Amino acid sequence: MNNYIETIGIEVHVELKTNTKIFSPSKNGYGMMANSLTNVIDLGYPGTLPTINYGVIETAIKACHVLHCNIRKKMHFDRKNYFYPDNPKNYQITQARTPIGYNGYVEIEVNGKPKKIEIEEIHIEEDTCKSAHRGDVTLLDFNRAGVPLIEIVSKACISNSKEAMLYLEKLKELLFYADISDCKMEEGSMRCDANVSLRRNIDDPLGTKCEIKNIGSISNVGIAIEKEIERQAKLLDNNETFKEQTRRFDDKLNNTVLMRVKETGNDYRYFPEPDIPYLELTETEINKAIQTLPMLAEERKEKYMSRGVSLLNANKIIANRSLSDYLNEFLDTDMNFSTAINLLLGDISFYLNREEKTITDTCLTKEKMLDLVAKLDNNTLSSKNLKEIIDDILKSNKTIEEIMKEKNITNITDIYVLKEIVSKVISNNLESVEDYKAGKDRALKYLMGQIMKETKGSANPKLVNEILIEELNNNC
Amino acid sequence: MSKYLDLEITEIHELLKTKKITPIDLVDECFERIEKNKDLNAFITLNKEAAYQKARQLEQEEIKGMLYGLPIAIKDNIITKDLRTTAASKMLENFIPIYDADVIEKINKNQMIIIGKANMDEFAMGSSNQTSYFKPCKNPWNKALVPGGSSGGSAAIVSSRITPFALGSDTGGSIRQPSSFCGIVGLKPTYGRVSRYGLIAFASSLDQIGPMTRNVYENALLLNIICGKSKNDLTSFETNEDFTRLIGKDISKMKIAIPKFYVNDAIDQEIKDKLETVIKLLEKAGCSIDYIDIKYIDKAVTLYQIIAMGEASSNLARFDGIRYGYRYDHPKNINDLYLKTRRYGFGNEVKRRIMIGSYLLSGKNATTYYNKALEIRDDMRNSFLEVFNEYDLIIGPTTTTKAYPLGKDLDDAVKAFMDDILTIPVNMAGLPGLNLPIGFSNDHLPIGMQIIGSCFQEAKIYQLASFIEKSLNLDLNPNKGDKNE
Repeated sequence: MNNYIETIGIEVHVELKTNTKIFSPSKNGYGMMANSLTNVIDLGYPGTLPTINYGVIETAIKACHVLHCNIRKKMHFDRKNYFYPDNPKNYQITQARTPIGYNGYVEIEVNGKPKKIEIEEIHIEEDTCKSAHRGDVTLLDFNRAGVPLIEIVSKACISNSKEAMLYLEKLKELLFYADISDCKMEEGSMRCDANVSLRRNIDDPLGTKCEIKNIGSISNVGIAIEKEIERQAKLLDNNETFKEQTRRFDDKLNNTVLMRVKETGNDYRYFPEPDIPYLELTETEINKAIQTLPMLAEERKEKYMSRGVSLLNANKIIANRSLSDYLNEFLDTDMNFSTAINLLLGDISFYLNREEKTITDTCLTKEKMLDLVAKLDNNTLSSKNLKEIIDDILKSNKTIEEIMKEKNITNITDIYVLKEIVSKVISNNLESVEDYKAGKDRALKYLMGQIMKETKGSANPKLVNEILIEELNNNC
Repeated sequence: MSKYLDLEITEIHELLKTKKITPIDLVDECFERIEKNKDLNAFITLNKEAAYQKARQLEQEEIKGMLYGLPIAIKDNIITKDLRTTAASKMLENFIPIYDADVIEKINKNQMIIIGKANMDEFAMGSSNQTSYFKPCKNPWNKALVPGGSSGGSAAIVSSRITPFALGSDTGGSIRQPSSFCGIVGLKPTYGRVSRYGLIAFASSLDQIGPMTRNVYENALLLNIICGKSKNDLTSFETNEDFTRLIGKDISKMKIAIPKFYVNDAIDQEIKDKLETVIKLLEKAGCSIDYIDIKYIDKAVTLYQIIAMGEASSNLARFDGIRYGYRYDHPKNINDLYLKTRRYGFGNEVKRRIMIGSYLLSGKNATTYYNKALEIRDDMRNSFLEVFNEYDLIIGPTTTTKAYPLGKDLDDAVKAFMDDILTIPVNMAGLPGLNLPIGFSNDHLPIGMQIIGSCFQEAKIYQLASFIEKSLNLDLNPNKGDKNE
């Protein structure tokens, strides 16, 4: 196979997380009974008109901001006319001529070096309804009709499948943390189409491109691009020419399949939507939308790391939005973040996964968490004992003290009590004391074990160790 | 037989208020008159049962305003919940809507009684009511003639005194032209004055619902209750005013303009003569009248065809047989379903306009034609607005001819648009325009004039119209001397 230069562009459709649909007051929701979230507007009834959900504009402004796009101040909507059963008005309201955002980028890291994936435009549009094919009938669910979407169109500047995947992962993280979308590819709230073309030399014009539609996961985007490159390379190796195609990824075949050959450019008969007046955004409106952005992933990482958290752990926490949100509640406290993150990623995550819960479902209030981290730090609670009581801490409203008492977990930290026990053990094991003096390390461990036995494990090991050494040295 | 429906609204209102009559008496009389005028074919669907129910219900209610208990007819492209709404098309022959248009909610809230759905041209495409799937409506002044269109049914109903009120819609003259042919008062309000929510769209940037009545005062009364901003229509505007407030006020200082285009050779001499009478009347009253030029006004029909048909081709795409309306029974596949449903569901004029509109928006045509037309429309609108910097109102004829015989011009698509050369510029500029009857032809057919105002200047239009109406004092009841006596 010859070497080719790969050129990839990616279009991403993202469903926006708004309460209602874009052009009607119907609820925007997923997984509800078919056609329960619809009204006459969503169904394209005669006489109905679109209204604007300004929450959509606000969310789109946020998207533009986090993707470093310029924001268009004066814009309009256009009608894209085509007949299809999932398109209730047989036109889709979109932004063909005045996309809200343009000329942006997403920065990714390729082999340790930063690379900007440029974004051509972001436009707002309405989703279509969902078709379900059952034998020779097709059922339509209009719950999705009119759900707000943004389409993010990258420039053809992605050099390989790895970059494509990195771009999508970064995009997902940005949009998810900005509360723009829940970005669930499996539920269709994030959908990717990839355009792929090959050419021999950098000076050649771009080759014939093929589009791969609706790929269901980021890893499949990588596979689909690889397969498509392979397919095109074979054709080019044989000096075959081919027409522009639309293909889809079949995850059973693990390969792309032809949908249709593009004959001539589709004629969507675009024209400005007369039912919606031009929208003009003021600087104040734009700033207001941007100000309501939550803390993004990068900033969170920086904050955690400045509190002594490792990059590895910071990334792990970022991967779990609800834990990160929870942790952010403590940014203004002096809690030990390292201990807290270990706790969250360890015993707490174990519990949450097992119980299929999120952190906000538990009884771990802010005070309780602070108390817990402090107890672990000052050895009032050992990590061994924690495992015994973590379920109760998360399930009950009782304080940690109360739970420890109930479970008979005492952690003897009273120096006088400990000293008494240590003295008793020393006087009962004078041989070991001699061994210690003779420099036998084993004796110290033996004495420690005797003390822990005496206290049934409730003595604070760190303190015991200190006191024991002190007492032994005094005996010398 | 009672003749309450020949009385002025103020008189009927007094009778209702003093409980000398009840809304049921009016409904009774309406349906008697409908029966008598059956041959007009003015209604597509009657609302008899619900009208009586509403009348009985109103008897229990407190009287909230002047329009309490009064019957109204609704053009059949305005959506009425539970009452068949066809847009005079086979496509919607059995369509029973599940919601009310904004104007219908207002009509109901103001205690009016909907008598039925008025005949019209299919999807409001036509200007003689002859494209109706339910057969043409006829002109009450001469049943061999067209009532005009597309709101021909609404005009015939009010003209023949079946109901004192009707709602029409006007995209290129569809209220004013039939009002002229039938001798009634019809207003196309400023674009945005009345919510379009629930009006089956023809050309969204031009469509406007408006009142059709026997006289100027009653027209203003109906506009009072149907106007206003709606949360359902982003192109609607909030206005809070009483449109009757200038009626009867002095007009002697008014500066009036007549576009030279409005007295061109295409206009019947009879009509120009009647207009001349009005001009003399106004001059005598102290108004100043100048002949002026308006940029692109002679191109308005061409621009209109591009914009209206382009928008119509998209607006009517939703009629595909999938969710409502007519559906072809045995399609081979989805494309066949689309093709056959639309082939058999739409009439010829509608299909003609969809095809032209689709062509006009195809590929490069969208920029060559549609976008260009929008630009020139803005210029024309500005040219109109410049005139209103100097003048109070513009006047001219409403139509180039009086009502013509049924069957004429049906197949001359271009000629049909030429009927509207005087009304279309008003839609293109988004302005309010009113037809006022100003006399009769030699063969006793009504002739109308048009009064055009600047944006949101309907009250001023009514001011001038009521002065002329009062001065001319015409007898506009086509039934005078025969069957309603």
